[in-house]
Amino acid sequence: MNKLTVEKVLSGVTNNQSCFLSVSWGGVIAVTIAMMILTLVSVAYSMSGREIYENVHAVRSKALDRKTEITMVLFDKGGGKRTRTLTEFSKKVDTQAYKILVVFNSPADLKDVGFLIHARTFADRDIWAYFPEYKRIRRIPTNSQDDSFFGSDFSYDDFSGPPNLEDYSFKILSEEVLDGKSCYVVEVIPKVKRKYTRYIAWIAKDLWIHMKIEYYQEDELYREGIFKDIKIIDGIPTPFKANMVNKKSNHATELTIENIKYNTNHPDGLFTQRSLEGGEVSEK
Amino acid sequence: MKKFSFVIIFVFLIFFSVSVVYSDDMVLVTGRMLSSAPVRLNDQSTEEYPSVLGRIKLKVSKSSLHFLSLMEGGVDGTIRSPRRDHYLFKNYHDVYQDNTPYLEFKELYLTKSYKSFDLKVGIQRFSWGRLDDYPVNDLLNPWDYTRFILKSLEDRKIGVPSISANVSKEDWAYQAVWVPIFVPYRLAKPNERWSGIPVGTVFSKINDAEVLSGEPDLASNKLENSSFGFRMQRMGEIEWAINLFYGFDPRPVFKTTELSISEFQGKLLIDPGIVPSFHKIASVGTDAAMVKGDWSLRAESAYTFNRFFNIRSDLWGYPQSLIAGVTPLNPIEIKRDTLDYGIAADYNLFEDGLLTMQLQQTLIFKKPDTLYNKTIETILWANLKVGWMNQKLETNFNLASNPEHGANMVKANAYYVFDDSWKTGITAILLDGPPQSLWGMYSKNDQIGMEVVYSW
Repeated sequence: MNKLTVEKVLSGVTNNQSCFLSVSWGGVIAVTIAMMILTLVSVAYSMSGREIYENVHAVRSKALDRKTEITMVLFDKGGGKRTRTLTEFSKKVDTQAYKILVVFNSPADLKDVGFLIHARTFADRDIWAYFPEYKRIRRIPTNSQDDSFFGSDFSYDDFSGPPNLEDYSFKILSEEVLDGKSCYVVEVIPKVKRKYTRYIAWIAKDLWIHMKIEYYQEDELYREGIFKDIKIIDGIPTPFKANMVNKKSNHATELTIENIKYNTNHPDGLFTQRSLEGGEVSEK
Repeated sequence: MKKFSFVIIFVFLIFFSVSVVYSDDMVLVTGRMLSSAPVRLNDQSTEEYPSVLGRIKLKVSKSSLHFLSLMEGGVDGTIRSPRRDHYLFKNYHDVYQDNTPYLEFKELYLTKSYKSFDLKVGIQRFSWGRLDDYPVNDLLNPWDYTRFILKSLEDRKIGVPSISANVSKEDWAYQAVWVPIFVPYRLAKPNERWSGIPVGTVFSKINDAEVLSGEPDLASNKLENSSFGFRMQRMGEIEWAINLFYGFDPRPVFKTTELSISEFQGKLLIDPGIVPSFHKIASVGTDAAMVKGDWSLRAESAYTFNRFFNIRSDLWGYPQSLIAGVTPLNPIEIKRDTLDYGIAADYNLFEDGLLTMQLQQTLIFKKPDTLYNKTIETILWANLKVGWMNQKLETNFNLASNPEHGANMVKANAYYVFDDSWKTGITAILLDGPPQSLWGMYSKNDQIGMEVVYSW
C-alpha cells in the first residue's frame, strides 16, 4: 500500500469521525484496522522524502573533498564512440560552501578546457569556464546547469555538487529492490524553473546514494541515469560507473571513475582562475 | 638570421632534453594537423594552393617547474611569385615573411610557480581584456596579418619573447610583463591573396610586373624599445581589471614614401612606396565582466595616447598614369589620442547554442579630414555557435559590420566530428566594402574552403 492510499484511508476515517462514537463495532473494527495499517506504513516510511534527500545530501557533502579521475565515453546511435578523460578536484570550505575544478585531459581538442565553481551556499554559486582557443576565462550563467556537459548526456549540474534542497519538493512513491539493493523511490519536483519538470530517483537505503534517476519533461521521459559498481571508499559509498541515456536521441554516455581519493584537503590556491587558465594544476 | 634559427632550436632542445630527463611528474604531447583547400568565388582574386599546417604542443612539469612549447609549421598555400629562398624559422625582425614552408614557436616558456606567484620566461602570448576578436586592451602581442581573416584571435597572435610575473592574493591578481625586444607585426606581400594593400594588388595585375615590398626600418633592439604591460584584476560579483601598456602599437599603419618603377630584364619592378610605420603608444584601460540573469556581460575601454592613423588613399599622391622612375608621394603622418570602448553579451539561445553579440567603437579626438577613419568607427559583431547531435556537428556563424564605411563580413563554418581524432569542415567567407576598409580590402577574396583536421 503506498502512502497515497494510506492518506485516503486516513481521510475517510477523519470524515466519519463525527459518527464514530455512536456507531457499531463494525465501525470500530474498520477504524482499528485502518490505524494498524497506518502504523505499519508509518514505520515503513519512517522518513519523509525530504529526510531521505537530507541523507543523500549529507553523503554528497561528505564526498566533496576529493580528487577523481574520470573516463567518459559517448556512444552515438549509430555505434560510434568518442572518449574524454577529465580530472575533478573538489573541496569543502564550510557547511555549505565548496569549490570544484574540472579539467579535461583528452581528447586534444578539449585538452585544458575546464570549469571552476565557487559555491558560497548550495543555492548561490559562481561558475567560470576556460576556453583555450580564446585563452580566456568566462563567467557563465548558472541557468546553463541543465545543459549538456561538453556534448555528453550528463549535464553541468551533475558535476556541480549537491543541490539546494529548498528548491525541490520530495515525495516517496514506493520501495523497490534495484540491482540487489533495497531502494526508496522518490519523486522530486523542482520549485524553480528547470529543464526537467520531474525526477524519479531510486535511492539505496542505508547507503543514501542514487541508484537510478529518471528525468522527465512533463510526462515524457527525457533521460535516464543508472549508477553501478558501488564501492565504499573511506566510508563513502561511491558508484564507479554511471550510464546516462538520452531517451529522445538514443545517445548514451558512460562515465567510469578510474581513480578516486577522498579527504584530499586540496589547497585553496588550486581553485583559482590561475589554475583554470594555466592548465598547470598544482596540487601542492 | 641563421644564427637566430639556431638559437631558437638550441634553446628548445636544451629545455626539452632537460625537462624530459628530469621530469617525473608529467609529460604531455598533443598535436594537430590541418589540411585545407580554398575554392575562389571570384576569378580575379589571387590564387592560392591547398595548405598543410601542423602544431605540436609539449608540456612538461616537475614539481613547481613547468615547460611549455607550442610549435607551428607547414605550408600555408600562399603563391609567392617569384619564389625566393627564405629561412625556415619565423623571426622578429621582418614584416614580410614567407610561409612556404615555415616553422614558428607560438609559445616556448618556462614557468616557476610558487604558492601565489608565477614567473614565466620565454615566448608568450597574453590575453587581456574581455571582448572577442578585437579586444582593445590586448596589445602585448602583435598580430600576424598574413591570413588574419581566416584565423582565430589566438592564432593571429605572434608570441613575444618576454618575462611575466603573476601574483594572486585572495580576490586580486596582478600581472606585470616586460617584452625586452621590439617585435613587429607581419603582413602579406602586395601580390599575395591576403595582402591588405589594395594598390599593391592592382599593380600585381599588370602583366610582367613584380610588386616589391621592401622591409621598413625597424626599431633597434634597445632597452628603450621594450614594451611593458601591467594588469590588476579583481574577482567578485563584478570582475574588473585595470590595464596599462607602453610600447609599439600593434595595429598596422602605413606611411607613403615614393613610388618607384623600373625595368629589369623586360619586366616592370614596382615599389608602391607604402611602408609599415611603427610608433609607440601609451594606453590606459579597464575591463569588466558580470553575470546578470541569463546573460553573461562583458565590457572594456582604453584611452590611447599618440596613436597613428592611415590617411585617405586619394591623398597618397599616386600619379594618374604610371611613369618609369621615382615619384615622391605625400609623406603625411597623423597621430591622435583615441578612446576605444565596447560591450559584449553571451546568451544561451538553446542547449548548446550560444549567441554572442558585440559592439565596439573607436573615438578619435580632433580628427582631421586627411584620415581615412571617421571620428567614430564602429564594429558590430555577432556569432552563433551551435553543437548538434551531442557535438558531432559543430556550426559557427559570424556576422561583422563596419557601418561607417559599409564594410561587412560573413563567415560560416560547419565541422563534422568523426571520432576523437578526425574531423572535417567547410568554411565560407564573404567580404564586402570599399578598398581601404577593414574587410573591403579583401572584397575579391570570397571563398569556400574545405578542411580535414587530425588531432592527437
